[in-house]
Amino acid sequence: MVGAIHELPIKGWIDTKGVKMGARISIPVRRIDAKEKAGGWTKYIGDYQFKNLQHGRFLRSERARAKIIEIKKPDFPEGYYYIDASDIPSSGKNNIQMIKDDWRVFAVSDVKYIGETIAVILGPDKQKVLDLLNRIEVIYEDLVPAFTFDDALSCKGGAVYGDNNIFSEYLLNVGNVDNAFKDAVKIVEGKYETGFQEHLYMETQGLVGAWEDEKITIYASSQCPFYIRKSVAVTLGVPVEDIRVRQTTTGGAFGGKEHFPDVIATPLAVAVNKVKKPVAMIYDRIEDISFTSKRHPSKITIKTGLDKSNNIIAMDIDTLVNGGAYESSTTIVLQRAILHGIGVYNIPNARIRGRAVATNTFPSDAYRGFGAPQGLFAIEMHMSHVADELGLDSSDFRRKHFIKTNDITITNAKMHDDVKLPEMFEKIDEMSDYSSKVKEFANDPVKGIGIAFVNHGGGFTGNGEQAIIKGVVKMKRLEGGKAGLYVSVVEMGQGLQTTMRKIAAKELGLDYEDIVYDNPDTDIVPDSGPTCASRSIMVVGFLVQECAKKLKAKWNEGVGVEAEDVYKHPDGLVWEQETLQGDAYPSYGWGINVIEVEFDPVTYEVKTTGIWAVWDIGVAIDETIMQGQSSGGVIQALGYASIEKCELKNGTFMQHTMADYTIPTSLDFPKVETCFIDNPYKYGPSGAKGAGELVFDAAPPAYAEAVQNAIGKRIYDIPVTPEMIMEALK
Amino acid sequence: MKEIKFILNGKEVSVKADPLKRLLDVLREDEKMTGVKEGCGEGECGACAVLKDGVLVNSCMIPLGAAEGSEIVTPEGIRETDKGKCIIDAFGDAGAVQCGFCTPGMMMATEALLTINNKPDESEIREALSGNLCRCTGYDLIVKGVQIASERGKDLW
Amino acid sequence: MVDSYRPKDLKDALSIRAEYNPQPLAGGTDLMVRYQSWSGTLPLFTKSVMFVGHLKEMKYIKKEAKDKTVTLVIGGTATLTDVANHPDTPVVLKEAVLSIAAPALRNNATLTGNICNASPAGDSICALYALDAVIVIEKSGSRREVPITEFITGPGRTILGPDELVTAIKIPLKASSVNDFTKVGTRRANALSKLSFTGVADYKNGRIDSIALTFGAVGPTVVRSVELEKKLIGLSGPELKAMIPKVIDDYSTVIVPIDDQRSTAVYRKKVALNLLEKYLKELSSHE
Ligand SMILES: Cc1cc2nc3c(=O)[nH]c(=O)nc-3n(C[C@H](O)[C@H](O)[C@H](O)COP(=O)(O)OP(=O)(O)OC[C@H]3O[C@@H](n4cnc5c(N)ncnc54)[C@H](O)[C@@H]3O)c2cc1C
Ligand code: FES
Ligand code: FES
Repeated sequence: MVGAIHELPIKGWIDTKGVKMGARISIPVRRIDAKEKAGGWTKYIGDYQFKNLQHGRFLRSERARAKIIEIKKPDFPEGYYYIDASDIPSSGKNNIQMIKDDWRVFAVSDVKYIGETIAVILGPDKQKVLDLLNRIEVIYEDLVPAFTFDDALSCKGGAVYGDNNIFSEYLLNVGNVDNAFKDAVKIVEGKYETGFQEHLYMETQGLVGAWEDEKITIYASSQCPFYIRKSVAVTLGVPVEDIRVRQTTTGGAFGGKEHFPDVIATPLAVAVNKVKKPVAMIYDRIEDISFTSKRHPSKITIKTGLDKSNNIIAMDIDTLVNGGAYESSTTIVLQRAILHGIGVYNIPNARIRGRAVATNTFPSDAYRGFGAPQGLFAIEMHMSHVADELGLDSSDFRRKHFIKTNDITITNAKMHDDVKLPEMFEKIDEMSDYSSKVKEFANDPVKGIGIAFVNHGGGFTGNGEQAIIKGVVKMKRLEGGKAGLYVSVVEMGQGLQTTMRKIAAKELGLDYEDIVYDNPDTDIVPDSGPTCASRSIMVVGFLVQECAKKLKAKWNEGVGVEAEDVYKHPDGLVWEQETLQGDAYPSYGWGINVIEVEFDPVTYEVKTTGIWAVWDIGVAIDETIMQGQSSGGVIQALGYASIEKCELKNGTFMQHTMADYTIPTSLDFPKVETCFIDNPYKYGPSGAKGAGELVFDAAPPAYAEAVQNAIGKRIYDIPVTPEMIMEALK
Repeated sequence: MKEIKFILNGKEVSVKADPLKRLLDVLREDEKMTGVKEGCGEGECGACAVLKDGVLVNSCMIPLGAAEGSEIVTPEGIRETDKGKCIIDAFGDAGAVQCGFCTPGMMMATEALLTINNKPDESEIREALSGNLCRCTGYDLIVKGVQIASERGKDLW
Repeated sequence: MVDSYRPKDLKDALSIRAEYNPQPLAGGTDLMVRYQSWSGTLPLFTKSVMFVGHLKEMKYIKKEAKDKTVTLVIGGTATLTDVANHPDTPVVLKEAVLSIAAPALRNNATLTGNICNASPAGDSICALYALDAVIVIEKSGSRREVPITEFITGPGRTILGPDELVTAIKIPLKASSVNDFTKVGTRRANALSKLSFTGVADYKNGRIDSIALTFGAVGPTVVRSVELEKKLIGLSGPELKAMIPKVIDDYSTVIVPIDDQRSTAVYRKKVALNLLEKYLKELSSHE
């Protein structure tokens, strides 16, 4: 069945105050948090007043790889502290328990990257803290650092990790690749590279740790309050119940506040544990750009074998991601990169080798898409290059290879989704006039158009939701016909405060404003898992829907009646975690972007003249919110593909101010014309699937292909800078 | 330390501080005007935007001493006016607000734009907002919010 | 912590400047970034500061006619917005000024500040070199006027004495029929320059009567070669057209940019020459 296609109410505006739920859930409502935020009433972490607040700042490594010989400290005046690993209680440990726990809370005796935490300096007066910090002298003995993939693979200076610098390695295989290559009549190869990307959430990282009711409370701008609770508890060696984490309204995150706040929270907690006073660790922008995790750089080689009829019969992929000095979540990022490695195609014989390497760079970590954008960029560019090599139309060639429902995936399972890519292509073709522009621009010296097809697995990889997360949600009937919603997933701009309320309200027959859903507090809400992996609506939202049904059934028992729902993996899905075999994701979001550009042969600058996006996210819980996700995700991805250059030189990011690390302004790109098609998913609330990361995936390859067509030279790397274009045209 | 007077949201205030203290810090710390946000501290992002003598400026770029005697308006000073309410409602209806960190600054930029041009077209809106960075929205729905405010607020500006 | 002064008028300012040599601060958009420290602490100024942005006597833009020349005089505290909005601002300067940052910044930053900051990437400077701007410098009891090319001596360096202030910028308003200011920035708006180019020229009786070609951010200061320009004076359009390759060659020896976090030397040079070529082609087709 072809899903209904909804155009968004772009022209008029909505006047929905007090809209009752019950109608089609996608009809937009006014976001619950809009007014308070717009008028500046909403408090973010830096806006709270704490009595007797102390300010902390990190003493950081200035060397990429070195032994610490000595730390010379001035005398600290009363009330000023130097906190380091020796302040960790004996029951605790100097590790940050993230997905792996190799990242140290404080560096001791050696440092592995520039910016690594050595100590916290804190006290009541910021200037004095700064002066003390400036008077500390660390004596290092330099070692030979490794920065690049080549450095890592050749173990330059000795292995940074293990004995070979490989954090993790996987081999995925479907069919018989070696045999198939023997039958190939043509082979095309390409090497694709992507760079670091800074999240640049507008609110910098910030946490305040306080000593309240004889225990540590962390107030955090964060995606995952329970992650912080766990890591702090492990570091201090106390039961998790002894730590309380309260999320404060979060001014953007994009993955940057998934694990990284743990890197601040753990030394902060050690400090609070010692001084028993509230301590703020709020980064300023320079500190944030210089010393927070970035998106993993990647280097992906793809070799494709074709038969006489130009069908792909074999594909061999080698994927490398740079995890930096500590592993943290790198292995999972690598998994996603390779699980999305052959994109939306049915390749009968395919093999992907994936390796995550260690270097002396700032540890890379979660960023919207979590590896998928890297894998998808490579495969989409490669498909375009193969088509070009064969003299075929790039989109025709790709469409011919689309995966279909029940085809076999790279993890040797069936594709369960109802794949609507062909209908989606028709839609975007109609919106953007893609097919005729391809012909029209073929001989145009400056114009180009590009397209990309992607999917994005929603939720944790494989059975992670079942095996690791086991999300729980709770609801309760409150006074005055209201209902309380208790979940640990957070609002960080993506609209959860509104969409979750809509989901609950729809089941309960209430107004969405009658659902009470506060920023999560680990002492109050159950652990429904982290806010990441495009899981909040699809997974937690479904639990909320089911929980609301249960509450509805009990509603008449009176005020105070509660209901709970616990995650259950959809029936019939299988997964083998060690080998990554089986159903990699319960479902996928699907997307197509078309991007049109014009290039200036004098300055080599590229102007984007049109952006179109069609998405299958099951069902939009709110079309306006999803329009915001589409525009925001696409523009952030276009930044990644074009102007967001983040270069490493001797272990430091060269761009460390907002003036040099440039994100798109309102004038850099035109409006994103967006359309959603309905394709309800059985285990999503009202049929919704994951969406928050999908919207990032397609724009980089679509943009690069557009530029490639405009300049008439192939593009293999992003960001595509004017400097690169000039070189390509030489 | 000096005693420095200026007009804040219509009322004269007197602050005892170093004249080189950033107006941003004076507003947030001394005056508790936390609607003014710090996004960069280097003039790039517009989260700290306020009106100074009627024009849009970034408060992180202005030492207190340079603001002596001037009229400063923060988000707190316009959010309850008819114009402020009109902008806030328009942003709400457009879906212009996501994480919200940039939004008070966007409101100030919108107020400043509509004051000099109450019927801006899309490119004038994009130009007026070009110093206010937003990482969430991709700007489309903010632009739409400004359009709605300008349509609804015909008689206000 | 350093001292700061808030003079009540220009006279007061000049005497404070003479007595204590404080650093003038106008819009603060360069200085507050340069001395930026940890958020929430005072900027780390290295010497005392004198606020000048509020001095009303210097907040003007006016036209002055003397003999046959008309001069635009821009007061020392006129903001970039004031300059952009003034009807008599030469088009290349207007474009240069509008290419700087965004409205909120231009409302506060001054043209004088952009000049005194003397950054090789200062956008107004590129245009002002081409417009033969003259800097008016005053100290208590005296005043001098210096061409901008002599005023700026290197990156961040000027001839300004510790007791002096810039009180105005004078721009002779000359006929100019082919004008171009192009900035190549790190993004489409609110961007710092990778490089910039200004071309102004005029024909008289079918021959080039005046021409100025300047390049920003491709050397320690704005690049302008009066010598090379002289070779173009008197040419007709077709003659110029024939000479373009030679002119590009000549300029390629005076443009020697560097690599930095914003761009590469190769790119800067290539694009600077491309912009020059484009401008000269355009110029050669006019008369
Ligand atoms: C976000 C941002 C973006 C920017 N973008 C650009 C850009 O695109 N292009 C560009 O060219 N610049 C840019 N700048 C730099 C800056 O805005 C300009 O140089 C501005 O014009 C400086 O003016 P001001 O009044 O703010 O200077 P101030 O910071 O007040 O002063 C700058 C210098 O001038 C001196 N000075 C000021 N007034 C006088 C006087 N009357 N007499 C003697 N000396 C004086 C000061 O002592 C100081 O050395 C940007 C800055 C920021 C923060
Ligand atoms: S904080 Fe002032 S412009 Fe960003
Ligand atoms: S809404 Fe998040 S930065 Fe604009």
